[in-house]
Order: sequence, then structure tokens, then C-alpha cells
Amino acid sequence: MNSSTSQKALKQILKRDAETRGLLENLCAGLGVEFSFEDAEGNVLWGDPGQFSQAAVLEHQQEELGTFRYDNPRALTLLDALKVLFLKEWEKKKIGKEVLGLYREINMIYGLSEMISEKIDAESIARVTLEEATQIINTTHGLFLMLDADTERVVEVAHFGESPLRDTFIQDQEEVLRELIRRGTSAIVPASRVASNPALSHLKAVMYAPLKVKHRTLGMVILGHQEAQDYTAAELKLLTTITLQSATAIESAHLYQKGLREVREREEAIRKIHDASQKFVPSEFIRSLGRDHITEVSLGDLAEREVTVVFADIRGFTTISETLDPRDNFLFVNAFNIRMGPIIRRHGGFIMQYLGDGFMALFPEGSQGALSASVEMQERLREYNAERALKNRMPVQVGIGMQNGKLIMGITGDSERLDAAIISDTVNTAARIEGLSKHYGTSILLTQECKDSLTDPGRFDFRYLGRVQLKGKNKPIDLFECIDGDEPELKRHKLQNLAVFTQGMDRYFNREFAMAAVTFQQIYKLDERDLPAKLFLNRAAHLITQEIEENWEGVEMMTTK
Amino acid sequence: MNKKLLIVDDEAHIRMLIEQTLEDLEDEGVELLFADNGEKALSIIQEERPDLVFLDVMMPKMNGMEVCQRVKKELKLTEVYIILLTAKGQEVDRQKGLDMGADRYMTKPFDPDEMFAIAEEILKK
Repeated sequence: MNSSTSQKALKQILKRDAETRGLLENLCAGLGVEFSFEDAEGNVLWGDPGQFSQAAVLEHQQEELGTFRYDNPRALTLLDALKVLFLKEWEKKKIGKEVLGLYREINMIYGLSEMISEKIDAESIARVTLEEATQIINTTHGLFLMLDADTERVVEVAHFGESPLRDTFIQDQEEVLRELIRRGTSAIVPASRVASNPALSHLKAVMYAPLKVKHRTLGMVILGHQEAQDYTAAELKLLTTITLQSATAIESAHLYQKGLREVREREEAIRKIHDASQKFVPSEFIRSLGRDHITEVSLGDLAEREVTVVFADIRGFTTISETLDPRDNFLFVNAFNIRMGPIIRRHGGFIMQYLGDGFMALFPEGSQGALSASVEMQERLREYNAERALKNRMPVQVGIGMQNGKLIMGITGDSERLDAAIISDTVNTAARIEGLSKHYGTSILLTQECKDSLTDPGRFDFRYLGRVQLKGKNKPIDLFECIDGDEPELKRHKLQNLAVFTQGMDRYFNREFAMAAVTFQQIYKLDERDLPAKLFLNRAAHLITQEIEENWEGVEMMTTK
Repeated sequence: MNKKLLIVDDEAHIRMLIEQTLEDLEDEGVELLFADNGEKALSIIQEERPDLVFLDVMMPKMNGMEVCQRVKKELKLTEVYIILLTAKGQEVDRQKGLDMGADRYMTKPFDPDEMFAIAEEILKK
């Protein structure tokens, strides 16, 4: 139940307030009279109405507040006293109501400023602003407009209240609106002006306030009502207070987003540099040095690792490149590298260096991945050659050699020029093995060490190809070819004759050169692409006529690098 | 609803604001009581045993914290529901107030509608 202010005031005087009640009781006793009072709704607040014969009405501002009943006319003095008490109480309550109204506004603006300071975009701020404005200003229509700093166009950010003219309003009134925004003033539009403006035909009352920040005006808020309203200066002031808050919030949001954008751009630039640098110096290399990022490495950083080094080289590159101009040459090398890189990465390796007609890859996880990658590279190459054949292009052959061992990765150079470098005898050996693969005519050539370190050697098939002593080295190396790199038909041939080949090698090392030659001849005849068989056939045949030294162990001395 | 509600604030205009905010409760039979300092508040609480007290923290003579502590800890009047009122920016007092036994906490400027709703809810219990 929500009784009126007048009713409450009367109740307060006659029922609740002990002070006024005492005063009235004293007056009654002094005057020797009694009275009763019931309010406009018939609630008895004092005395017993049935007891009295006379009645007078208590009025205030043409409002009937209640009936005062009495017998003795002297009791009318009490009515006068009641009037005075009522007026005081009523004024107190009225002021109290007004103050509470103002307090609500303060509280709302307080809440608004907190709410919009959390928003970081103009649209949310605009929406909250309009929503809050409707809470304290009687309005049916609202528009939140901003002036685009670049295009000078007036843009609607938020609105409430529909009208058939809303879509065209800004367009039609843009000149006026822009001018109002530039002026940065606030006003209550006189009702006559609202009525005479066809664009405002759906409204009877309009007021507006600017979105002002320091000396700039970002836009404006227009509020209107479809019924006639007497907008007061106080309401306009309230709207101005609200728009000031919004404008400040929007400005902060702009600055915030600008800052955010700049940070993002910077981050993006750094990320791009990072991505690019990662392509030039492999991240695996950086990580091996115990660093997360290339910016952290410094001259002299180094790390020793046990790795498998793989060299891959395009055979007969010189022949191919002779037929191409430098640009096409480059494209040809790229076409090759593009196909091989992903295979290396997929098997846990990374390309340490491109070497013009080939590359060096490192496999920190060891030879299993290195050999798998090598087999897959040869497969991929056969597919590539099939594509090339369709375009009448020469097939590309690649020799692959690998070796296991310790390796030092480090940052070398000087303070102005740094480079990732590796220093290792393993690298030299791997490069020589790759060179030998051409000499032996194998697709993939590896050392005993490399083969022994395979975690799952059963996945591959090998042929033992004897021992070599590399130039400048003391220790001979046992060599194996992995026949999985060969084309299927050749691999099948090598597999089928594996036992015979092994027999040939045994005879060779037992210095039974004639028998060995016959054996290798037999194999070679079956498939003339079996180049290792041909090589040992030639070696054996050559040794038949040679005088063999006592300490001959079949180690091939490599005299070239 | 035969309940009593005590409003304690040294500033007359705040008392009036709270009175205005809560005056509709009178229609439901709630008696509004007032005190303009802590000492007065304490004696009214002891005599009248109000159901709910809106208690300002910053007051001369005896501040709200102390009143709260006396009521809850010394007099053990735990059934008197106390809502502490503090100005915005004094939120640091919050935990202290709750430690003193306050049941709830409101900041000024308060939201009149929220205050009315809370008072109504507590008095209806």
C-alpha cells in the first residue's frame, strides 16, 4: 500500500508522533472539547466519529484530506492547529521526497559512471547511457550520435524508440546535426520548433546535450517524448551530466583501443620477425643451446649433442643446371627443397643448411628418423620424377649419406655478424659418405655406427658394402646401403640376391677374387642397375691380376675428398 | 508486522533520506526509530530491541563499529540485524565491520530501491 504524502503527514501527526499527539491532547483538555478525524479513505486517525454531530472538511490545495468532527464550535481551534501541524509535516515530507529524488539521481550517475568506465567500446557506452537516461528522464525516444572524425559524417551509435523517420532522420538532418555537434551546446527545443519540424513529427518534446571532451565534441544525445512534456532546466542539466560522463568514457575507450591496437601491431611485427628468424635459424638449434628465442643467443653459446647428420645431394646437378638459366636453376633447386623439407621435419629432423645442390639435415633424435626420412625422400623423388617425365624433363637423382656422432652447435661470428654454426668431424664424415654413395651407386649409404644405433632396424633391408678408409682418417669405416631407397623393382632384385651378394662379399674378403667376380657378374647380369654389384665385380676382376699384400684387409683407400 | 527499525546517522539529511526511503514500511506496521549518535543508538537498542539497524560507521562520540561490537559481542544481542553504512572508498573497513559482528554492509551513496528491498526482506523473516 502506497499512501499519499498528505495521508502520511496526517498519520504522522495524529498517530505516530508522540509530541504532536501530546500537544493536541493538552489543547483538548485546556479547551474542554473533543474531536475526531478520519482521512479521505475513511481511516479513523483520532477519536470516535460516531460521537459528534458537527463536521468540517480539512482541505489542502483543493484536496480533501479528511473530516474533522466535533460538537463544540471551540473545537475548531483544534482544526486550525491541525492545519498548521499538517502544513509543517507535509512540507517536511515534500522536501524529503525531493531530496530523495535528487539522491536517486546522484546514485544513478554514480552507478552510471562506474558502469561505463568498465565498457571499452563506444557502442556499449552509448547503450548504457541511453538506458540510464530513460530511468531518470521521462522520454520515449533517444538517439546517441557521434561525428566521425575522418569522414565528418554523423553516425548513429545507439537508439531507443522506433519511428518511421528514424532511418532517414540522420540523413535528412545531417547538416543541422553536424552544426549542433560542432557548437557543443545543449538545449530544450521549444515545443513550437518541434511541431514545425517535419523530421520530428513523431515527437512533442525534444532536448539534446553534447558529448564533450575538453574542447572537442564527439557527438550528441537527443532525447524526445511522443507526448507533450515540460522538460525542465534541471532535467537538461541532468542529461548534460550524463553525456559528459559518456564522452569521457568514450574518449578513454578510444585511447585504450588505440593503445591496444598499437600493442597488437607491435606484437604481430615481433611475431613475424620471430617466425622469419625461425625459418633462417631452426628453432631446434636455438633450443639445443638452451635458449627459447633467437634474441637470447649470444656469441660463444654452444652445446654438444649426439645427432645423426644426413647429407642429400642432387646428382648430376651440373649437367642439369647447364641446361637452365640461373633463375630456372634457382626455381629447380627450390622445387626440390620444397618437397624434401617437410619430410625431414616429419621425422624429427631439421635442415641445418642448404648447400646449393642439396642440404644438410640434423636428427637430434637419432638414426631411425634419419633413415625413415631418407627412404621417404627417395619415394617422394620418384613421384616428382614421374611429374617431370610428363613435362619431358630429366629425372633427378639424389644421393643420401649419413653418419652418427657428436656435434657442437654454436653461435659464431663477431659482434656485428652472427651465424649458427656446427663444428664436428661427424659432419665431414657424413658429407664424405654421401659422396661415396655416388661412387658406390647407392641411393642411401650409411655407416655401421649409424646402422647399429637404429631403434627398429627390422623395418629396413641392408647390404654390406665393405670397408673404406676416408682420406685423412685412420680408422676404416664399414658401409651399408639401405635398399629401401631404391625403386621397387631394383629393391626386389637386391633382396632376392641378397644371399648370393653376401657370398660374393665373403669370397672377396677371402681373396677369392675370381669366384667373387663371377658371383658379382651373375648378380649384375640380372639387373644392370645394380651398381654396387658392378663395382665389386670390377674390383674383384682388377685384383685377380694384382699382387695382394700380406696385410690386405679389403679396406678401400679413398684418396679424394 | 510489528517490527522496529532503527536508523543511526549523525547527519540529519541522511536520516531523512533513509526515512523517506523506508517510510512505506510504516504502512506495514514497522516503527521507525532514530538516533543521531552512537551512544543514543546503543541505549535505544537496549530498550527497544529493534529488529533491524542501519548503522553509520563514521560518527562522533561512539562510532558504528563500536556500537556494533557492544551490541553483538558484549550484550550478545545477536538477533538484532545490523547493517553497517560506510562511505564509498572506505571499503577497507568492511572486513573490520564484519569482524565486529555486523550482519551486512552497504556503501553510501546507497541505492534507495535496494535499501528498501533489503529492509523489507529482513523484517519479513
